[in-house]
Amino acid sequence: MKKLLINIIVFLLITIVVGEVVVRLTHATSDIPQRTIDDHGIQKYFPNQDGYWKGGDHQWTINKLGWPGELPKSYDNLIMIIGDSFIENFMNPNECHQSAFLSSNIKDYNFMEVGRSGISMIEAMEISKQMDSLKPINSLIYVTDDDFYESITQVKLMKDITQLNIETNTIEYGEMKAPGLKKILYNWKLLYYLYNRFPLNINNEEAEPILNTIEISNKPEYKTEVSKLLDFVKANYAVQNKTLVFHPNSSDYIIKMCQNIGFNTLLLDSSNDSTWTFDYDGHWTCYGHKRAAKQVEGYLRKNN
Amino acid sequence: MLFNSLEFFIFLPIVFGLYWLIGGKNIKTQNLLIAIASYVFYGWWDWRFLALILFSSLVDYSIGIALGKNEKPKNRKILLWISICVNLGFLGFFKYYNFFVNSLIDSFSFFGSQLSINTLNIVLPVGISFYTFQTLSYTIDVYNKKLEPTKDFVGFMAFVSFFPQLVAGPIERATNLLPQFSIERKFDYRNAVDGLRQVLWGLFKKIVIADNCAKYANIIFNNHTEYNGSTLLLGAFFFAFQIYGDFSGYSDIAIGISRLFGFNLKRNFAFPYFSRDIAEFWRRWHISLSTWFRDYLYIPLGGSRGGLKMKIRNTFIIFIVSGFWHGANWTFVIWGALNALYFLPLLLAKKNRVNTDLVAEGKYFPSLKEFGQIAFTFFITLIAWVFFRADSVAHALSYLQHMFTPSMFSKIEVLPITILSLVLFFIITEWLGRSGEYAIEKVDFMKKPVRWAFYILLIVLMFSFTGEEQQFIYFQF
Repeated sequence: MKKLLINIIVFLLITIVVGEVVVRLTHATSDIPQRTIDDHGIQKYFPNQDGYWKGGDHQWTINKLGWPGELPKSYDNLIMIIGDSFIENFMNPNECHQSAFLSSNIKDYNFMEVGRSGISMIEAMEISKQMDSLKPINSLIYVTDDDFYESITQVKLMKDITQLNIETNTIEYGEMKAPGLKKILYNWKLLYYLYNRFPLNINNEEAEPILNTIEISNKPEYKTEVSKLLDFVKANYAVQNKTLVFHPNSSDYIIKMCQNIGFNTLLLDSSNDSTWTFDYDGHWTCYGHKRAAKQVEGYLRKNN
Repeated sequence: MLFNSLEFFIFLPIVFGLYWLIGGKNIKTQNLLIAIASYVFYGWWDWRFLALILFSSLVDYSIGIALGKNEKPKNRKILLWISICVNLGFLGFFKYYNFFVNSLIDSFSFFGSQLSINTLNIVLPVGISFYTFQTLSYTIDVYNKKLEPTKDFVGFMAFVSFFPQLVAGPIERATNLLPQFSIERKFDYRNAVDGLRQVLWGLFKKIVIADNCAKYANIIFNNHTEYNGSTLLLGAFFFAFQIYGDFSGYSDIAIGISRLFGFNLKRNFAFPYFSRDIAEFWRRWHISLSTWFRDYLYIPLGGSRGGLKMKIRNTFIIFIVSGFWHGANWTFVIWGALNALYFLPLLLAKKNRVNTDLVAEGKYFPSLKEFGQIAFTFFITLIAWVFFRADSVAHALSYLQHMFTPSMFSKIEVLPITILSLVLFFIITEWLGRSGEYAIEKVDFMKKPVRWAFYILLIVLMFSFTGEEQQFIYFQF
C-alpha cells in the first residue's frame, strides 16, 4: 500500500510538472496581466507587461501608462477611447483595436485607448476625468446598458468595480478581489487551465447581498436610479466633450437621458451586417471592431 | 455520481482509504463499507430509488434462503417465479410501461379505434436493467443448485449494489462475484496498479474517444438531411466509436476500480471491432449481457440443438430481447432483429464458431482476407448502429436512405482531422494490445520512464480534449 501511495504521489507530481510545461508551451490559457489600484482609486495594469492570448496566435501588451495597447506618437489632437473589455480587447491583436482602425483612417487625430474589463459607466467617467490632464479634444466612451446599471450600488452591488451609492451620492471605489489567489492562479498556468475548463460551480453563500442578480439588461424599472446616476455625472464631470458610443441594441431611454444632460451619443448598428462577435464569446471579432470603427469614423468626420 | 466527475475523484480515495485502513482484513467491515459506499454512490443520483435496490436485495436474499430450505420442485418453482415477477415487474414498470401503453394506443388507432390509457411521468432508475439481471442470476443459480444461498445479508447487499458496476455493468454472475464477498481480500500491489491502469484507459476511452465522437455523431445524426452519404457514413462511424468508447470505457473503469478493492470482475469487451464475422463480434461485445441471455434464455429455450425452426426462433428471440433490453423503443428491437439476420446464416451454415482465436495472433498486420472480413463486419455493424442511435425507425430509415446514395463516394463535408487522428491512435493502440484483457494491459515491457510518459500522454490528451461532460450512454439502460 505504501509503495502504491508513494508511486501515485510521485506520478502526480511529474504529471503536474509536465502539464504545466504543456500548458505554457501550447498557450492553452491566456496570460493574464497583473492589476494594481492607482492613487485615484482606478484599477489598471502594472506598466510594461506583455503576454500571449489563448492559443498563442497574438500577443497583448500593456503600455507604460498601465493600459492595454500602444500609446499614440503624440498627444496633440488627442481623442481618448475609453471602455471595458471591448476596448481592452485582449482577444484580438493590436491591429484590430479601435485606435488602430481609427488612426489609419483619420490621420488628423491621435487616438489613445484606456480599457479594462469590467469597468462601469461611473468608473469610465472617473478615468476620463483623470485623462483630461492630457487635454483630449474628445473622449469616446464605449458603453452598454449594463455599464449604467452596474454603476449603481443600489441596483447591483459589486465590490470589485467602482460604483456610485445614489443614496449618499458617494463614489465607492472597487477593491481588488482575492489578489493573492489570483496571483497564484495566473502564474500556475496548469491550475488556471483546470480552473477555466472545470469550474467548480460552488455557490458562495456568504457573498455580499446582491439586490438583483437576475437579468438586468434593458429594465426601464431602473429609470429612477439611472436618472440619479446621471444627475451625479452632470454635477461632477465635464460632459460636453464626451461622446458615449453605445453598443448595438442599447436602450433608447438611457441614450435620451444621456443626451439630456449634454452628452454626445452614437448608437452603433450591427443589423444588416455579418456577425460582429465570436461564436464562443460575446466580444467583437476583428471584423466587428473594424465595422464599429467605421461608424465611429463617420461620426467623427461629421462632428469634428 | 459519474466516474468522470469531481465528486467521484473525491469519493473513491476516501472509500479506498477506509476500506483498506479501517476495514483491514475484516471481511464483514469491508462488506459493510462497500454496501454503504455503494448506497451513497447511487443515492447521489437520487436517494429515493435506494429503496428499490434495498427491496430487490431483500426479496432475492429471502427467496434464496427459502430455496435453500425447500426441496419440493413445485414450491421451488413458485419461489423462482416470485423473484422473476418482482424483478422483471419493477423493470417492466419503470422501463417499459409507457412503451407498451403507447404501442397499444397506436395499434388501436391503426385499426380505427381510440383507446384512452394514460402514460405515466416516471423516471427510469439508473442501472435498473443491470442490477435486476444481476440479482436474477443469483435466484436462478440458487434454484438450479449451482450456488449455495448466502446467509450474509450485508454481503448480499454489497453484491447487488457493488458501486463500480452498479449502474452500467458488467452484469456479474452471482457464481463469480458473490463468493468473493466471503473470502479474505488482501491488498495486492500488482493487482492495484493493473486496476489503476485499466481505469486510466477506461477514462481515456470515455473522455477522449466517446465524448469527442459524440459531438460529431450528434451533429450529423441531428441534421442528417443536410449531409451527403459519405458524411452520414462518417456519422455512423463516430457513433460506433462513441458507443464503444463509452460502454467499454465504463466497463474498464468498473473492472479497474474493483481490482483496487480486491475483486475480479468478468471481462465485458474483447476488441469487438476486430471481429471477422458477426458471431465473433457478439462473443466480444457486451460479453456479460450476451452470456447472460445465452445461459438464462437461449439455452433454456433449447438453444441451437433443435430443428431449423427452433434455431431461427431462438436466434430471433435472443437478439430481439437483447435489443429490447437496451431501451423501450422499436429502434432497439430492429437493431436486435438486424443482428439476428446477420447471425443466422452463420448459425445455419454452422460457421458461427469459425473465428474463435485471436485475429492475426503474433503479427503486426492482418492478412488481406482478415482485413476484408473485419472491414465487412464493421460495416454491417455500422448499419445496425444507425437504428440504435436514431430517435425513431423513420429517422433511421431516412438516415440510411440518404447514406446509400452515390454521394457516399463524394467528399466528406464534416472532417474533424484532430478527432479522427485520436480515433486512429486509439485503434492502433487497441490493435497492438489486443492479446491483453484490455489494450494497455501489457505495457510492462516498457521501461518505467517510457511507461509513465505514455500514461502522462493519455492524461494530457484527456485534459486537452475534454468534451462537455456527458452521461455514460449505458446509464439509460
